[in-house]
Amino acid sequence: MDRETRDMLLETADRFFTERCGREVVNGVEKGVWPADLWKEIEEMGLPLIAVDEDEGGVGGTLADMLALLRMAGSHAVPVPLAETALGNLLVANAGGRPATGPSAVALGTLTLDGNRVSGTVARVPFASVADRFVTVAGTGKGAKVAVVAAANATVADTPSHAGEPYGTVSFDNAVCEYVGASSVDAGRAYELAALVRAMQMAGAADKVLATAVEYCKQRAQFGRPISTFQAIQQMLSELASYVAATIASAEAASRDADEGGLATGGSFSIAAAKSQASDFAQRIAAISHQSMGAMGFTHEHILHHYTRRLWVWRRDFGSETFWGEKIGAACAKAGPDALWPSLTASRYAA
Amino acid sequence: MSIPKLEFPPFHLPPEAEALREEVRAFLKETLPRIETEDRFASWNTPSPEFSRELGRKGWIGITWPKKYGGSERSFLERYVVTEELLGNSAPAGSHWVADRQSGPLLLRFGSEEQRQAILPRITRGECFFSIGMSEPDSGSDLASVRTRAEAVPGGFRVNGTKVWTSGAHRNHYCIALVRTSGQHGDRHKGLSQILVDLKTPGVTIRPIINLAGRHDWNEVTFSDAFIPESCLIGNEGDGWLQVTSELAFERSGPERFMQNFYVLRELVRVLGRQPAKRAASVLGRLVARLWTLRQMSVAVAGMMQGGKSPAIEASLVKDLGTIYQQDLPEVARALAESDATTEEDMADFLDIAQYATMMAPSYTIQGGTTQVLRGIVARGLGLR
Repeated sequence: MDRETRDMLLETADRFFTERCGREVVNGVEKGVWPADLWKEIEEMGLPLIAVDEDEGGVGGTLADMLALLRMAGSHAVPVPLAETALGNLLVANAGGRPATGPSAVALGTLTLDGNRVSGTVARVPFASVADRFVTVAGTGKGAKVAVVAAANATVADTPSHAGEPYGTVSFDNAVCEYVGASSVDAGRAYELAALVRAMQMAGAADKVLATAVEYCKQRAQFGRPISTFQAIQQMLSELASYVAATIASAEAASRDADEGGLATGGSFSIAAAKSQASDFAQRIAAISHQSMGAMGFTHEHILHHYTRRLWVWRRDFGSETFWGEKIGAACAKAGPDALWPSLTASRYAA
Repeated sequence: MSIPKLEFPPFHLPPEAEALREEVRAFLKETLPRIETEDRFASWNTPSPEFSRELGRKGWIGITWPKKYGGSERSFLERYVVTEELLGNSAPAGSHWVADRQSGPLLLRFGSEEQRQAILPRITRGECFFSIGMSEPDSGSDLASVRTRAEAVPGGFRVNGTKVWTSGAHRNHYCIALVRTSGQHGDRHKGLSQILVDLKTPGVTIRPIINLAGRHDWNEVTFSDAFIPESCLIGNEGDGWLQVTSELAFERSGPERFMQNFYVLRELVRVLGRQPAKRAASVLGRLVARLWTLRQMSVAVAGMMQGGKSPAIEASLVKDLGTIYQQDLPEVARALAESDATTEEDMADFLDIAQYATMMAPSYTIQGGTTQVLRGIVARGLGLR
């Protein structure tokens, strides 16, 4: 979609999330209440189909459009699997399938596909216990396939995330697939795309953390004046802004590279760097924002933890800084010292 | 919530800039092996008049300036590529760096036609080098408190006062000094002007200030009744503050703020060998990811500037993050080399490299605006003050 259309969509989504996805909804999900109305409205707006072509019933946006939307959703802690379903739909459509309605989860791990039956176990699948179906990717290179399994054909053991979202361990025991299709996105690439989605959600959450801390410090008065007037607080929040800026900049650059380079391979190095970077700074962002807000920000009552807890969970999802750092580091070491600078300027793994 | 949005719109350097990159790489590959420098790993503060002359011959100093002043009328983004390639390939770019980055652009913007014609072509040829005359013994971050005084006398100014931390004054040809031309010491921003000082002027004395590593980069430059001709006033009398702030913007936003010790990362890759252990690879990769991010941010800032914006806050954030990264780098690298270097000999050599880098690291968060001053600028941008 063109820039103007995307901005309009983002503005609409921002307003919608502000009105319909408040503190009580996020807290409700943590208590196990599925916000059926919220999900229904999200589907009515077509958001989970943002990156699916119009002739397949989608909105016709690009990968970049989808990622921009998910960054926005990250800044509202949207507690339903919008990211997972949008990515799942994109993967299914790309493999020649037709996206269905209802929430999906994306189960990425070591799976074996035999005909139209899949076997294997994937731990910490986000939104596993509320998903109608699981989108999986098996195989590497040209042999890769997307397989979709109805929730009824899988077993889920609930392991809620530390942000209170319904994560779970999913087991497929020779499970019948409702769809299997050849995919240009292989298992490793699907993991990269999921990491990129998380990096963008983290950019949104980081942005919100900064805004929340700044706003709080301007309101909160101690010793007879707003604490934002103290240099110590100004220095802290400025440092916080630098980490938030790095998170946003790296995620946005990776989104651009993934979008321009194509769904199957684009921006591989940039995605690894962005997820490593976002995960690396998540702790500093959480630490400084909490410090600036004192006991108030540590309560369940306040919304800050909706974002800081998600940053902690999301940095672990689909590869932490340790995982992606290793991938980059091993590649740089293999290519040798003189290939390092050219690799950085090209945003590519050295050949 | 209404705080200004921090945005770093991803930006591609244009094809002509990427084409230039290849030319610069080929030139450096051919030229660097025959240039001798005082540093094992050179950077933007390692002087080499010989290298600067060679770069000048390629037309890559003052690359954005008008052709009539010796420039190449190429874009700011092409200049960006030249500077980052010099840094990425450890070129000794110290002789011309300040003239190319800020003194030349300052003269181009505010200087007289006579000054431009006399100076700019020589800068572009790599024959004329500049020092920065801002700081004084009692004026560091608080630049508006400068005391050096230029008193109007027939035909020019009589200058008295002292400038410090004047890098390269003992090697360079000129210094642009911020001086008080009217009013009193307490008048702050009013009454300041910039003057072009030939460092050979009688009454100008240059004494070394040796840094903690034993190096002589800095100087104390003393003016004792030094006569500076009227033709050396830059811009209008009293506009010094306005001019110096624009000069500082050039000083803060470039890749030298995160690439000064790039050699540490490159040598770390060498010492870890082609197949490091998982943990070592991971730590290395995280450092690479941070540097990649800084470059993306810096390129985004360059893109915004090319688009006519003045992203002062974003530029400050890049310098803050970049200089802290450069301080972390030798520390992380040192520990990693100790645990994971392929041979004892390589480790010992690398630890010497890292130790030197550690010794230089405190300067990064001081030069070009301290971290604390920059954070004050960011805080203002966030609406906190």
